Amino acid sequence: MADLKKQIIEQLNLKDVKPEDIGDDQPLFVEGLGLDSIDALELIVLLQQEYKIKLANAEEGQSVFRSVRTMAQYITEHQPKTV
Amino acid sequence: MYIQAAAGISPQRSFEAILMQPECYTGNRLTCCEPDYAQLIDPRMIRRMSRIIKMGVAAAKECLQKAGWEMPDAIITGTAYGCLADTELFLSKMVENKEELLTPTAFIQSTHNTVGAQIALLLKCHNYNNTFVHRGFSFESALLDAVTLIKEEEISTALVGGVDEITPVSHAILSRFGLYRKDDTGSAALLDVPGKGTMAGEGALFFALSDHPSGNDYAKLDNVYTFYKPADIAEVKDHIVSFLQRNELQAQDIDLVISGENGDVSNDAVYTALKIGVWNTVPAVSFKQLCGEYPTAAGFALWLAVHILHTGKVPGLTPATRPRRVLIYNHYQHIHHSIYLLTAC
Repeated sequence: MADLKKQIIEQLNLKDVKPEDIGDDQPLFVEGLGLDSIDALELIVLLQQEYKIKLANAEEGQSVFRSVRTMAQYITEHQPKTV
Repeated sequence: MYIQAAAGISPQRSFEAILMQPECYTGNRLTCCEPDYAQLIDPRMIRRMSRIIKMGVAAAKECLQKAGWEMPDAIITGTAYGCLADTELFLSKMVENKEELLTPTAFIQSTHNTVGAQIALLLKCHNYNNTFVHRGFSFESALLDAVTLIKEEEISTALVGGVDEITPVSHAILSRFGLYRKDDTGSAALLDVPGKGTMAGEGALFFALSDHPSGNDYAKLDNVYTFYKPADIAEVKDHIVSFLQRNELQAQDIDLVISGENGDVSNDAVYTALKIGVWNTVPAVSFKQLCGEYPTAAGFALWLAVHILHTGKVPGLTPATRPRRVLIYNHYQHIHHSIYLLTAC
């Protein structure tokens, strides 16, 4: 999850945020980290670029991007298996 | 038409600094002196902003602050190049990622109207918002739109700006077209050592225009006029003389001319001819050694003019009397010509 936090910070250019500032279960949007709809699109690109995961259903986004932990769980469950 | 305030980010720190000791640049490029944006713009907004957006938003914010305005009736910007850095980023990613996995931020922020839009978002301003992209007439088009709306009583106040940036990539491309000097003349000697090409420039200049006086206005904008691709210098002279006549003036009624020489021999011939043939008795100063050449550089000239009229001080000149009436004449690559007439308040 530490790597994922670093990737989120880099992808969203969260200059003053350190990985340790983001709680594992802290909400990413609105009242939590304060992300918005453009950030959601950036996170979809992040999943594709870094983990080769394409979000099949846009409605899934709300639950997948709830927190770093939910993102990490989704990545673990959906990451293509390497031979 | 009153200019209640003017503010900008340019290769010069301030009008006072120009009077004392203007910033001098070597090479063939002048770059903006940028403030600490974190002090001026919400950090949550700043993280997505490229350099030109930060420059534009910061300049607009300062202009509004100086004018004491919270909400202008219109936000109108002019830009020739738009948000180049984001455009380059978006296009590079498109090539690198084979047109897939494109990040949305650079695309969203790359449009030419981003600066005007970001100012509106910052102010939560739902009023008229327009951006003009018209090469060397971009800034003039924005200004003329504001003037027209004010004259037609559609609005009474407008925040008008001209923004353009130069990036390493655009500088390299424009250098290939032969626009910039290949020698190392530098900005201090740019106009004294005629040569081929000029120095690249950039800037974000904003003006608070109002239909009524505030009692502390910087200057009064009497007229703006543009003309396109004149056939020769004689036609340029005719346009300027006619402009003065329409304003019931003769050249000797002007206290100061601000003209757009940029050090390129082929560019400056018209200014030399006008100095001899039209305003030979009028003190004249140049401005592109201070800001460089770019399509919306006339915005810098206007910023300079309003400060001259506001303070009575002229960079590089000690006028016999305080200038009360200033004429600006500028052209961009012999194609887009503009004339501004301003008076002191």
